[in-house]
Parts: sequence; C-alpha cells; structure tokens
Amino acid sequence: MDDLTREFLLESQEGLDRMERCLTDLESRPGDTELLADIFRSVHTIKGTTGFLGFSRLESLSHAGENLLGLLREGQLAPNPEIISGLLALMDILRGILRSIETTGAEGESHHEDRAMIDRLEQLHRVDPPATAGACETALAAAVAAPVHSPRPRKQPGPSGRSLRRARISSQCSPPPAQSGEAGPRDIEATRRRAEPEPRSAPPVAAASIPARPITGAPAPAPETQAPASSGAADSTLRVDVELLNRMMNLVGELVLTRNQILQATSADAGFALLARRLDMVTADLRESVMKARMQPVSHVFSRFPRLVRDLALSLDKRVRLEMEGQETELDKSLLEAIRDPLTHSVRNAIDHGIETPAARLASGKPAEGVVRLRACHEGSHVIVEVHDDGAGMNIEKIRQKAIDRQLVPPQRAEQMSDREILQVIFLPGFSTAEAVTSVSGRGVGMDVVRTNVEKIGGKVEVDSQAGKGTILRLRIPLTLAIIPALIVRSRGQNFALPQGALTELVHLGTGEDDSRIEHLENAALYRLRGRLLPLVFLNRLLEQPPRESGAPCDIAILNADGRRFGLVVDGLADPEEIVVKPLAAVLRRIGFYAGATILGNGEMALILNPGAIAQNAGVGLTSETADTSGDSRRAGQHDFLLVQTGSGQAALPLETVVRIERIPRSRIERAGSRPVLRFEGKLLPLDDAASELLDAGDDPEAQTTVVVCRDGNREVGMTVSQVLDVAGGRQLEEAGTGAIADGLTLLHERVTDIVRLSAVPSLDCAIESQVMEFSVSAEEQP
Amino acid sequence: MSQDRTSQTVEVCSVRVGDTLYGVPIAHVLEILGKPATQPVPLAPYFVGGLVHYRGEVLTAVSLRRLLGMDPACAAEDVLVFETPGGLFGLFVDSVGEVLHLSAGDHEPNPPTLESRRQALFDGAWKLKDRLIVRLEPERLDPMHLASAFPA
Repeated sequence: MDDLTREFLLESQEGLDRMERCLTDLESRPGDTELLADIFRSVHTIKGTTGFLGFSRLESLSHAGENLLGLLREGQLAPNPEIISGLLALMDILRGILRSIETTGAEGESHHEDRAMIDRLEQLHRVDPPATAGACETALAAAVAAPVHSPRPRKQPGPSGRSLRRARISSQCSPPPAQSGEAGPRDIEATRRRAEPEPRSAPPVAAASIPARPITGAPAPAPETQAPASSGAADSTLRVDVELLNRMMNLVGELVLTRNQILQATSADAGFALLARRLDMVTADLRESVMKARMQPVSHVFSRFPRLVRDLALSLDKRVRLEMEGQETELDKSLLEAIRDPLTHSVRNAIDHGIETPAARLASGKPAEGVVRLRACHEGSHVIVEVHDDGAGMNIEKIRQKAIDRQLVPPQRAEQMSDREILQVIFLPGFSTAEAVTSVSGRGVGMDVVRTNVEKIGGKVEVDSQAGKGTILRLRIPLTLAIIPALIVRSRGQNFALPQGALTELVHLGTGEDDSRIEHLENAALYRLRGRLLPLVFLNRLLEQPPRESGAPCDIAILNADGRRFGLVVDGLADPEEIVVKPLAAVLRRIGFYAGATILGNGEMALILNPGAIAQNAGVGLTSETADTSGDSRRAGQHDFLLVQTGSGQAALPLETVVRIERIPRSRIERAGSRPVLRFEGKLLPLDDAASELLDAGDDPEAQTTVVVCRDGNREVGMTVSQVLDVAGGRQLEEAGTGAIADGLTLLHERVTDIVRLSAVPSLDCAIESQVMEFSVSAEEQP
Repeated sequence: MSQDRTSQTVEVCSVRVGDTLYGVPIAHVLEILGKPATQPVPLAPYFVGGLVHYRGEVLTAVSLRRLLGMDPACAAEDVLVFETPGGLFGLFVDSVGEVLHLSAGDHEPNPPTLESRRQALFDGAWKLKDRLIVRLEPERLDPMHLASAFPA
C-alpha cells in the first residue's frame, strides 16, 4: 500500500469517527448547524480523496451521503431518526470498505449493497418536506401545490403524498420550466427516472442546487471553513508511528535500567553521585514525556458509545441517555485498546440488564429515560473508568440463588456471604442472570471475561449495586504496562520478579518456623493467616528446582491473582524495584508461569512470575477466596491495622490506607522548607516524622529509615516509623458510661493503640505557603 | 556452475564445542557475546541454555551442548547472536575462534551414516587440509524450530 492510500485510510477513519460522534449529537441537537457542517466536511473530504485515488464504490456512496447532508445543511431537510439511522448505516458500509482496502488493497465488490444504500439515502431526500418554505421559494412556486405542507407528513406517507413531494423536489432541481411547464409533477418524476438510470447521477439534488447558493457553501468550502479552526492543531501536532513510540519506550526502559545500575554502583566520588542524581532526574522526566506521548484521551474509546447506546436502546425498546465525563483523561494507547472490549461489554450489560423498560421505570417512580454514565478520572497511579446505570440494580438474592444453582459457591457458604461478597460472584466464569439469551447478552460469558481482560493488563474490576437505584462497575487501570513495580524474590539462588499489583502482604518465617507454622492437610500446605487457611505454593517445587532445606527461613508472599488468594513460599526477598517488562521467546512463554523477563538494577536478569497462571496450575479455587477478608472482619466491627513502632510508642495505621512500605536511605529524604519530603515514584510525598526518626538520625546519610506510604483520600503521605510490627485486627473501644465509640483509638493485641490520623498531616501546599510566609515575615523585618 | 562455486569463498566464524569445530557463515552472526551473564529458566525445554542480556533485549539462548546430548559444561560459554525471521536468539558454544575464509567448493553434504539428530542439525561440512568444519545453519537452531523438530 502506498503512503497516499495509508494516509487516506487514516484520515478517513478519523473522519468517520468524528462523523459518528456528530451524528449522535445531532440527534439531541437537531438544529446545530455547526455539527452539520462538520459532518458534511468529513464526507466531502472522503469523497474528494476517493475520486482522486480511484475508489469508485467509496466515491459513489459518499457522494450519495453528501447529497443528503447538503440538504440537511441547507435546512431543506430536518434531521430525524430515520435520516440519522440511514447516515449511520452508510458509515458502516464506508468503514467496511476502508477495512477491505486496508487488508486487501481493493474496495471489494458489493454493488447490490451499495445500490440499496444509495436508494435508501435517496428515499430520505424525498420523504421530508423542506424545513423552511423560504429556502426553496423560487422553483417551487409553480409546481408545488399547497396540500403538501402537512405538518407531519412522515407519519402518513400515503402513496400520492409521497410522489407529490418527490415531484416537488425533483422539479426544484431539474432544469427550469422549459420542459416541466406543461407536464404534471408525476410525469416529471417519471422522466427524470428514465433519464437517469446511473447511480452516480441519480441524486443530483444537492449538486444542482448548491451552485445556486454560493454563500451557504459549494462542494469546496471545506478548506476555508476548516482552516482557521484546525491549522493551530495541525501546526503543533504530528502523527507518529506507534512502532517508533514503542521503540522509544523500550529505549527509555533501557535508560531506567542503566540508571538503576549507576545508582547502585557505589562511588566515593561526590561529583559522580551528583551526576548520578542528575541522570536520575532527567531519566524520570524523559520517561514521563515518552509515556505521555503514548497517552490518548479515553474519548477515543468513549466516542463509540453514543452510537452503541442509541442502537441498543432502540433494539431493546428502552430509553437511555448516555452521559460521559472525564473524556480528556489519558491512558496508554495499548491499555486503551485493551479496555475497549470490557467497556463495551459493561455498557451493553448496563443497558440490557440494568436499565428497565420505560413502563417499569415509570411504575417505580423513575423518569422513563434511563441514564448510563461513563466516567473516567485519575486516582494515584491508576485511571478509574466507571460505568454507572440508574437501573434496577442487582438482585442480591437472585445472584445468591444462581450462584448455588450453578454450583459456583457451596450453599452453606453462599448463605453466609455478605451482600458485597455475593456481588463479586458475577465475575465467576459461567455466571449470567439473564432470564433469556438475547442477542445482546445472557450467554453466560460475561463479567468473567471483563474481569479476565482487565486483569490481564494489571487492572481490577469492582462492582457496587443498590436494588432499585442502579449499579456501578469500576475498572481500575494502571497508567502504563511497560514499566511495573515488582518485588524481587529469590528461590534457590535465582531471582524472580513478582508484580506488586498481585501482592497483598508478606509473611516472614524465621529459622525453624516453617515446620511449626506451615500446616499440612494431606499434601496440601496451608498457612493460617489471621485465622483463615491459605493454600501455599512452594516456588521451588513448582519450578522443579532443587528442594529447600527444611528449617531455613523463608518468606510467604500473599498473592491475590484473578481473585485467587494463595501464598507463594520463596527463600527470601530482595528489593522492590520498578522493572521494565521484556517479552520472552515463544518457547518460554509456553511454560506459562512467566509473564516476561527483566533486567535488574544490579545487572542480573529475573523472570517475571505470572501469579494468575501459578494459582490456576496449583488448583487454587476462585470461589471461597474471592471475597476479601476485610469484608468479614468489618462485619464484626473490626478493622485491620498495620501496627508500627514510632520511637518509644506504638501506633496503628488503617491497613486499607497503606500503599507500600519502603526502606530508604536517609539521603533520599529532602526538604521543602522545613518539611521533610520524599520523591516517590516520580511524585512528591510529604513525610510525617512521627517517630522523630529523622531528627535522631544524626548525619549518617547511609542509615536507612522505614517509610510507610499511605493514601489519604486523593493524596499520598509518608510516615517514618522505627519498625513495622504486625498486621492485626483491631476492635472498637467504647467509652465507659456513655458507650460512645472512642475516636482515634483501637484495641490491638489487647493493647489500646492510637490510630494515626493521616488527615492531620499538612499538605504540601501548606508547607510551601508557610515557607512563603516565613519569607515574607523575614522580608518585613528587613529595615 | 561448479566453476563458480569453487571460486567463491565464504567467511565463516569458527566455534568449538567439545572436540568438534563448527562454522557459521559470518553473514548470519549479528554479534558475539564473550562469556555473558546467563539466567537459567526452570521448566524450559532441555535445549535452552538460559537467557542472556543483549542490547536491552532478553534473548533465549540455545545450548549446542545440550542439543547434542553432551554434558552441559559448567564453565562460562560464549554466545553467538543470530537473527532469523522468527526473531533474535543466542547460541551457547564452548568458545568462538577465528574467522576463516573457506572455499564453497570444499563444502560437502552430510554423510548418510551420520546419526539422525545430527543429520537434521548439521548442514554438511567443509574439508580443510587437516580437519573438517561442520557447517551450522542458524534457521535449524531457532528455538521455535527446535521445539517442533525435537520435542523433549
């Protein structure tokens, strides 16, 4: 394929995307001439280029569309659902042809389809009367009889009425009365048909009328009208091959790696350390820029939904309004592609299962029109995409029953499960609540596919539903795929990388503890984690490595992969590290346990483990472990806390706020004004020095300190602690007498412990403000 | 035609595995890595010697020793990097020798008496004055090809 054609395909596809958006918008704002002009331009551009490149199918089809749009633009026709459906159908055909050109290089043959399409569009020309009588006063005067102007002619298209109207329009466009003067309208119609059997010349409506109205726009208005709006964008942006971006991303990955190596290479030379730090900063910046270049707004995926919602609602006889929010939120291109299908599926579900029929909605006191809301926003290093519908919500009892019927959950377990837990069952394979299989959904492949696809890219899916109020499906997507945070673990002298996304916590077993704390049920090794049994997988056995000596210390990485919870027993832990994922050769991918390989900061290589595949292989079930344990404890008025030592005292951090625990050298902690801050994953983190760790430290820059990174609402803060002690469930305390629940205190290990209030940590703005204030104060003090 | 062939010379990179000398036409060799750090891959097919780091990529390297059923040497090995239509891969050999200029006319196909596995891996040999050099064809050593040709 030559460059010209490729360029044409790209542009046409973009044009069609834009048209589709505009068309669905047009339906809600029929009078918007801007929109019409935009659509017209898109079709016109396609038509112009196709003629030039010799794609005759495309040319004749877009010509027909252009004619119809020309009438719409001039106000001779008013947009109505039929016209919009017709134009959307036209776009589908055009898209099909573009695809065919892309794959085969030729348009393909389907004259029948084209003919039908063109006829359909022509029909549409004629069905509606002119929107304004003034627009066509001249030619009409003689030929048109008054009765045609019935207010809603579309509803009763009696044969005579229709042909009269057709005749009127065609008379308007055919050469002046010389021939039509004595003949009746019907005869004109007939002669015109006979005279013009060719599809190309059949709809000359717009072509004939346009030259007469140079002001409203001729076939070539596109450049002038488009130029001022788009020239700015065209000058400041350029198209870049995705391959090139991928390559750049790879190279940046290399640079990150080299940087890691340089940072780890100890050097006594202070100048070198400074250079290394500079390299560190530049690399971080560069990485961010390249990642940004790969970002695309989610509107690229959202834009298809107005059409989808419209078609689906029509076919299901429902009334649905689509609201979209946060379309400008950006996501890595490959991830955007990956969420396209799950999102489509979720929206289909929302309309098919969620939104009720207008009658049912009115009966339950809701407006007849349902709302599906798509929302995208950033949250930390993730993008959240929500599909929210205000439909009937999920029937918890029905789901519970179905889960039992389909043997997805054992009956007694299902009875115990909380509503939240039960909702998670919809993500199990083979679950579908649809009463009947419709063309839209209900085939039993559903939410599990959504979850699998989202988890494949390191994301998570959550669902929340209220009976009668609606359902929210939340997709949590990482910002990028190429570089992921991972924990490096060791097994039999070899490094492996565990993606942090799947890691929930770590348990260390000291010398000789493995025998006493790991229990066995026949062959199955189990670990009692806060009272619940957790299946264990020994990495060395799984990978057929030499056996480990019993009694040696080991670590259990508690993983949650695709809803399967298990513990992976490894010999030891190394550092957490941001790793660059390198693909493995096909022969090694087949093994299944490896998601890729990476090169570590110390230059060694490590295989990246695939927790999902390991769980599946080990037979770790989904069912009983899907629900998070916190659901259980929360019911008993309990919360899980991270117990930490701060100086001489102990404090509790709510576990759900803890993002990460880091050991870092003190030299990495910097100061903004008087506040200690830490650069963490490229962001600035305010530190709360509760343990006075930093003050006590003295000047040894090599000394390490432990920082617990916590999430407080939308921000993250770091807490310096002396030591992390345990994770434990804490009970609420009641004040004697009043029975009021003690705020900020909890009972942990039978000891009253302070709960750290993260909101008390001042934000960085304040830090900077106070700095400015200090400055202004000192400035005032100047004589 | 034979006139043409005899007059052509081929540049061959000589490598040694055990007592045998092998040669790979230099055009196929992308790079030679001297005793690189390697990473074994548990559960990999038997002929995979491990992973090597090559210019930011992680290459799968085939071990000629393992492939030929020889004792995998514990000593560090050199790696030849090849590019085939299927992608890049490495080949572990005991050591890489010098580049030889061999005459195409001195090349002869595999003898029919050669064991079948070697029959499939080798591509004939060049006759030198005092010894033979086995010709290796990278495409026959591609891990994907090996996986289908010699399943464990």
